Amino acid sequence: MDKVVNIRINGRHIRARAGQTVMEAAKGVGIDIPSLCHHPAVTPIGACRICVVEIERQRGLQPACTFPVTEGMRVETESPKVVEERRFILGLLFSEGNHYCPFCESSGDCELQALAYRYGLDHWIYQNPGEARPVDGTREHFIMDHNRCILCRRCIRVCSELAANNTLGVKYRGAKTVICADGGVPFGESTCISCGTCLQICPTGALIDRKSAYAGRESQVERTKSVCMFCSVGCGSEIITRAGRVLRVEGEWEEHNNGVLCLKGRFELFKETRKRIETPLIRKDSRMQQVSWEEALDTLAQAFKKSPSKKIGAWTTCRTLNLTLSEFVAVFLGKIGANVGVLELTLARFKLPLGGSLNDLLSADTILVTGADPLSDHPVIGYHIKRACMNGARLVLVSDNNNEMRRFAHKTFSLNEMGKAVKFCQNSASPVVLYGEETPPEQAEKLAALQRKAHFIPLFPESNGFHAKALGLRANFAPSQMEAVYLLLEDTSLSDEKIKQAREAKFLAVHASYHSPITEVADIVFPALLWYEHEGSLYNLEGKKVAVRKAVSLPEGLIPENEVLTQLAARM
Amino acid sequence: MAKIKIATDWLAACAGCHMSLLDLDERLVQLLDKIEITSSPITDLKYPPREGVTVGILTGTVNNTAHLEVARVMRERCQILVSLGDCSVLGGVPLMRNQVKMEDALRRAYVETESTVDGLIPRSEELAQPIFARPLDQVVKVDVYLPGCPPSADAIHFVIGELLEGRIPVLKDQVLKYD
Ligand code: SF4
Ligand code: SF4
Ligand code: SF4
Ligand code: SF4
Ligand code: FES
Repeated sequence: MDKVVNIRINGRHIRARAGQTVMEAAKGVGIDIPSLCHHPAVTPIGACRICVVEIERQRGLQPACTFPVTEGMRVETESPKVVEERRFILGLLFSEGNHYCPFCESSGDCELQALAYRYGLDHWIYQNPGEARPVDGTREHFIMDHNRCILCRRCIRVCSELAANNTLGVKYRGAKTVICADGGVPFGESTCISCGTCLQICPTGALIDRKSAYAGRESQVERTKSVCMFCSVGCGSEIITRAGRVLRVEGEWEEHNNGVLCLKGRFELFKETRKRIETPLIRKDSRMQQVSWEEALDTLAQAFKKSPSKKIGAWTTCRTLNLTLSEFVAVFLGKIGANVGVLELTLARFKLPLGGSLNDLLSADTILVTGADPLSDHPVIGYHIKRACMNGARLVLVSDNNNEMRRFAHKTFSLNEMGKAVKFCQNSASPVVLYGEETPPEQAEKLAALQRKAHFIPLFPESNGFHAKALGLRANFAPSQMEAVYLLLEDTSLSDEKIKQAREAKFLAVHASYHSPITEVADIVFPALLWYEHEGSLYNLEGKKVAVRKAVSLPEGLIPENEVLTQLAARM
Repeated sequence: MAKIKIATDWLAACAGCHMSLLDLDERLVQLLDKIEITSSPITDLKYPPREGVTVGILTGTVNNTAHLEVARVMRERCQILVSLGDCSVLGGVPLMRNQVKMEDALRRAYVETESTVDGLIPRSEELAQPIFARPLDQVVKVDVYLPGCPPSADAIHFVIGELLEGRIPVLKDQVLKYD
């Protein structure tokens, strides 16, 4: 237990922990000290001074966000002197840039504006010079309006401390100071990877999301805590909706991703252009025609009854949720006795440990990545690795291809040099091993030597790969030998080669969210939900069960996949 | 008891603030027991009386030489000057014009607008000349500020009510809004 420190805030006795700042101690008991530059996700720098408080026996006011508590300390957080100082600081902040709120995207949700309200600013104390600053719109997904920027530097810190990308900094001095990328190139031409963490943490209207701008204020939107389904990291996210439409996705600060999402997780959802399948479809007179659920399920059951169970094959994507995966196994393996499998690899060949966490990465001294490219395929893991390296960890990369992680590796070995890589890690105190499908199994066996002290993180190619593997499902796609085939694709698609193989079966049923080449050639098509229309769960690559929540209501006439499978089973 | 005299006028404004004043509806009728509106842009008498008023209310941005004159006269003839609405308090939308050259703004407005045929920039000496746009308190002393675009009828009611009680209004909560 940390040492207790007794302090008084606004006359109230508080037992704080040694090492806490005044702001943290106050927050712990619900006393709100305003902050602008500070955010709990990043290191405090005491830049804006809005959090100043009076501390007995201290000369002048002190910033609460950086000032540590000490025994017997007495603090006043809203004394007349403090309030006067905060009004002065707000006056200065409003005197630069352009904080004319009525035409600002953030009005109503802006932390600066909220403080102006809190301290009753009814006009600008110091007049604004009115000189326009530039607006940078060179990035695809969000805009930087320097006129609204208060130089709190939160963006700089998330970019370096959480996304570990070090893109942002400041240039020029005094009133001319601006946030810049890579020393001053347009944001769109910089090293920025558009993870959007800066966008999420900006307290003002300086960083603006193109898609959700002016589409709804905080008081008008709903937030659903969920999980990103674009890879197996399963980043904690919040889906922000209004009237059944997804406006934006944000990272969950309290989860293993520390608020960070990658480009895919934050923006991919909005790139969707495929056409949604709205009803069951059956091929009649060589055309796909809309039919009722009853007819479609009867037809499917008939087709399966006609084929011997050995000649029935069912494959599902690993992107699907736990309930559907379990029901898939129960119905096709348990009830029908068919051949079952998954469409993506599940690290099934590896007998290595599981259960390492993203937190383990941050405290690792050596990180061994083999047969995978986290920065491309599991980006937030990639950022965590870069963070660990910035704090002194060594990255050992075992890869044969043009891996994005190569630039950050301290040592690189080829896939058949696993022995050397393992040796390199052997004398480290807290190694973490991340392994992916490209690792040859005989090389992977050598990793067993690290088993005693290393944490192992499996890099499953798809979001619910962990559960698929646990259920014993393998990527054994062989539809051409089957008479009847069922494919649960949800929102994934199949390669032309796989479509060709699938079409060799006499009867082909496809369960998918979107029209695609395979739904054109199927005999029967069932509409599937999108992941954020489901209420369910999955196992992320840490092996942790996480809740995936329904953020928008179910489109009319759609039935969740697991229920469709249950109804099928009832007909068999 | 004699009625308190109030004069009001607008500078570069969209009239929204005065619409909000009219939104007081029956409360305006009740207020008229206690106040007399001597002049306003929406009554026949436009100018504050020479003998002066207790409260002067100005809306809109100081945008040209005529506004300078209106603001000066109002200041001279009232005891308490209220700056009402975002344009008057913060500069408002007209402030955006400061970000381009005056000639460019005039050309855009009088010549280039899509609805204009054979446009001409008016240059008569008799017309007011555009100036660098600014909020009211940059040209005269202001006693009471009420931001909002426009401020709600409730906010206006609160401010007038406080002034009638002899207090300088302190804005907070729903009364203090920047948009
Ligand atoms: S950033 Fe905030 S304070 Fe500045 S104009 Fe926008 S809402 Fe107002
Ligand atoms: S862009 Fe936003 S987060 Fe970055 S310094 Fe400016 S106000 Fe702060
Ligand atoms: S989007 Fe990500 S990488 Fe780009 S500047 Fe912001 S935090 Fe840095
Ligand atoms: S790392 Fe994976 S789970 Fe996290 S945001 Fe990116 S795609 Fe989503
Ligand atoms: S919040 Fe403490 S100095 Fe900015």
